Amino acid sequence: MAPAEGLGSDAVERGVREPDARAWQFFAIAVATGILNVLSTPAPAQTSDDASTGELKRLSVDELMNVEVTSVSKEPQKLLRAPASIQVITAEDIRRSGATTLPEALRLADNLQVAQINAHDWAISARGFNADLANKLLVLIDGRAIYTPLYGGVLWNVQDYLLEDIDRIEVISGPGGTLWGANAVNGVINIVTKAARDTQGLYAFAAAGNQLEEQGGARFGTQLAPDIYFRTYGKYTDEGPDVTSTGASAHDSWHIGRGGFRLDRDAGADQFTVQGDGYSGHEAMPGTGDSDLSGVNVLGRWTHSGPDNTWMSLQAYFDHAYITQPYPAVPSSIFESGFPASLLTDSLDTYDLDFQDHFHLGSGQKIAWGLGYRATREANYNASELRFSPPVLDQALYSGFLQDEIELTSSLYLTAGSKLEHNDYTGFEVEPSVRLQWNVDPSELLWAAVSRAVRTPSRYDHDLYAPSGLSGAPPPLQYPTLIVRNNTNFVSETLIAYEVGYRAELSSHLTGSLATFYNDYHDLRSVTATPTTAFYPLPYPVFFQNNLEGDTYGFELSVSYQLLDWWRLRAGYNLLRESLHLRPGTTDATGGTNDTADPQQQVALHSSMDLPYNVSWDAALRWTDSFEIDDGPTGGPVVGIVPSYFGLDMRLAWRVSSKLELALVGQNLLHEYQVEYGFPSPTREAIVRSVFAKITWGF
Amino acid sequence: MGLLKGVRAFAAAWASRPWRVLRRSLALLLGLSLLLGASAPVSEYQLKAVFLFNFAHFVEWPTAALPGENAAFVIGVVGKDPFGSSLDEVVRGESVGGRPLAIERYPDADAPRLGRCQILFIPATELTHLTQILDALKGRSVLTVTEGPAPRGAIVDLLKEDSRIRLRIDLQAARASNLTISSKLLRPAEIVDAGS
Repeated sequence: MAPAEGLGSDAVERGVREPDARAWQFFAIAVATGILNVLSTPAPAQTSDDASTGELKRLSVDELMNVEVTSVSKEPQKLLRAPASIQVITAEDIRRSGATTLPEALRLADNLQVAQINAHDWAISARGFNADLANKLLVLIDGRAIYTPLYGGVLWNVQDYLLEDIDRIEVISGPGGTLWGANAVNGVINIVTKAARDTQGLYAFAAAGNQLEEQGGARFGTQLAPDIYFRTYGKYTDEGPDVTSTGASAHDSWHIGRGGFRLDRDAGADQFTVQGDGYSGHEAMPGTGDSDLSGVNVLGRWTHSGPDNTWMSLQAYFDHAYITQPYPAVPSSIFESGFPASLLTDSLDTYDLDFQDHFHLGSGQKIAWGLGYRATREANYNASELRFSPPVLDQALYSGFLQDEIELTSSLYLTAGSKLEHNDYTGFEVEPSVRLQWNVDPSELLWAAVSRAVRTPSRYDHDLYAPSGLSGAPPPLQYPTLIVRNNTNFVSETLIAYEVGYRAELSSHLTGSLATFYNDYHDLRSVTATPTTAFYPLPYPVFFQNNLEGDTYGFELSVSYQLLDWWRLRAGYNLLRESLHLRPGTTDATGGTNDTADPQQQVALHSSMDLPYNVSWDAALRWTDSFEIDDGPTGGPVVGIVPSYFGLDMRLAWRVSSKLELALVGQNLLHEYQVEYGFPSPTREAIVRSVFAKITWGF
Repeated sequence: MGLLKGVRAFAAAWASRPWRVLRRSLALLLGLSLLLGASAPVSEYQLKAVFLFNFAHFVEWPTAALPGENAAFVIGVVGKDPFGSSLDEVVRGESVGGRPLAIERYPDADAPRLGRCQILFIPATELTHLTQILDALKGRSVLTVTEGPAPRGAIVDLLKEDSRIRLRIDLQAARASNLTISSKLLRPAEIVDAGS
């Protein structure tokens, strides 16, 4: 207490010099209270940043129930035992960040690259390849895969949840194919929602601001029977347009509503869950027409837990997603046949069945194995300008995995396993990995891994074609009939990843993690042009092939420091070097630039403070290096630059009572508008500074 | 190993030097907050420890369940103790009904002395063994305390809701253990009473 007292008297002197009489009075009272506070602290053994136990003991039970405990918490201890580059975004992190949607919450993971493209679209990736339509991440919500086989990426505009009901988001950078299968190439994002029993009662919020025009949500949870809990929720978001490079409105405002439920039965060792969601949204799209998005899903899961962390689960889900995208008519002209107005639709039905069993074999081995089956039906009712062949595609995916975790010594573990899966495009794929974990001591972990992962072809790579609409070439000239043609010979992209990582609790206040990687890629997507001749002057159609290869390396460093009980700091730094080249004797129409749009460096700083009077203040500062981005697969070997930038988000919240909270949130505070992504053009969008107020009731 | 030590030493040095300067300037903020009469934030287990201390005062045990005169009134913790030094600090020098308060820690539900305490705290990490623990205490007047949300069975559940601690009291379980709970605890608590 001594230093605090000394500095306190400094502040008193400054208070006295204050000319304002009211301030003087205020300070006099404050000083009196302060001195009382200091005097009434009897236990000299207390550390200066802990509240006095003596004081607490004098409170009544009612008063105790109103005491707020510090909630700026360290990372979960379990993390120290994870032999991978993993970061966990907790419910607390999400709440304190002021994030309004899922992709905004992902900015909290320092091992991701997150860029907002326009009001409703995002580019999110790990360890690079954050090209438009990024395709190397596997994303799951409660075990349901949410990436679309249309292009292997996630439509972030439709993936959201009532953020308050998310328990945690686990973000793994690096391959996870052995457990998760195809598409878990550069990372896995695992979104886990809270159990229904942890979301009981009424919760509601409303927010409004300049950019987030309005957002509201509510959840109600109740106990239906002694061991059955239920919740239902709804959320509505209405976002204003962002701007083009000239600062004019980009006319891309959008709104989306969603709702869902979760029912849990907790019968001792057996747990049953049934959950489902539905959404419907509408987004303005400059240049084409308004897009409609909707979907529903329902999932059932049975989990049987045994002793010593053994468990078995059976899960089934159905997911339906529907998008429409209008294309305006193109009038015919002398060299163009023109297109009638049309509507591209993507209707995807997924049926998925998954079984897993984790058990001990003898004393030193833990076996995990599982079987999976997924059937999809994707129907693309084609627009006249953009088509898929075949328009309706039924596919089946069979998979199985086996993994053995062997305890070599009490501190050394070896995990080896593989997934084997069969898909209709490329047949069998194998994704083995070997991982070594050394618990140097209880607070230190060293790990290394070698893994193979694959990205199987998407509809976009394999089935997409686009008529050129060109006609009437003066003989002997010939015009291409297609701009893009499909390629049924497109194969899977492969990765062999080498990783070494270190994680430590360096003191009770300081934890750190360093993950380094060297990734060796083969058969990456490339764009092949059609050779031109004197009579065939245009290099179209282009089509996708697998001619690109190369390597990337870098590291992810993150440090979390609990400065005081009420102040936590977190910092992250990423370095990514990419070197891609064409396989000898092949060509790429974009000069090998179509799959990357990645900053070489990224820095993030997060500060979380619990201030007096139930006020909390959070700030996140990030810096993203400049990066090169190409003009799409048909744009030729041209790249543009997205400049480096600083971004700052802040949230100030006041907990008025145990049920009521008021918050003021600012995003992109440093700029009126800022480009985060996109090839330079008059229509490239910049993200507008957003300020909104939020009122929250119930917890 | 040499590499690890080096990394650790570097991190320790890095952590201590610049931060010490920062900490000093932070003391100013801390001083200001004291000056404004606001108490520093309380840690979760410090608060839970004070709750346990209060239970000793606001619950009535049958005389047979209490230790002999001058013997200690025992608050037990089973499994991994999450309190650090908080619980010891709270009970240091305190007594209830003329008996000094003491803390005992039991490794697991099989510990022979488990049933000898008056209050038993069952941390979240032990919830998987809750049934086993409750079975071991059957017929004894032990105030069982879980940190929830926990499955039914224990008498008191300390629920952390957002950043506050709430009480949930199971009256049926209290009656089964022959414990009488004061209205001072019952009034602010959420009552579960399947028996009525």
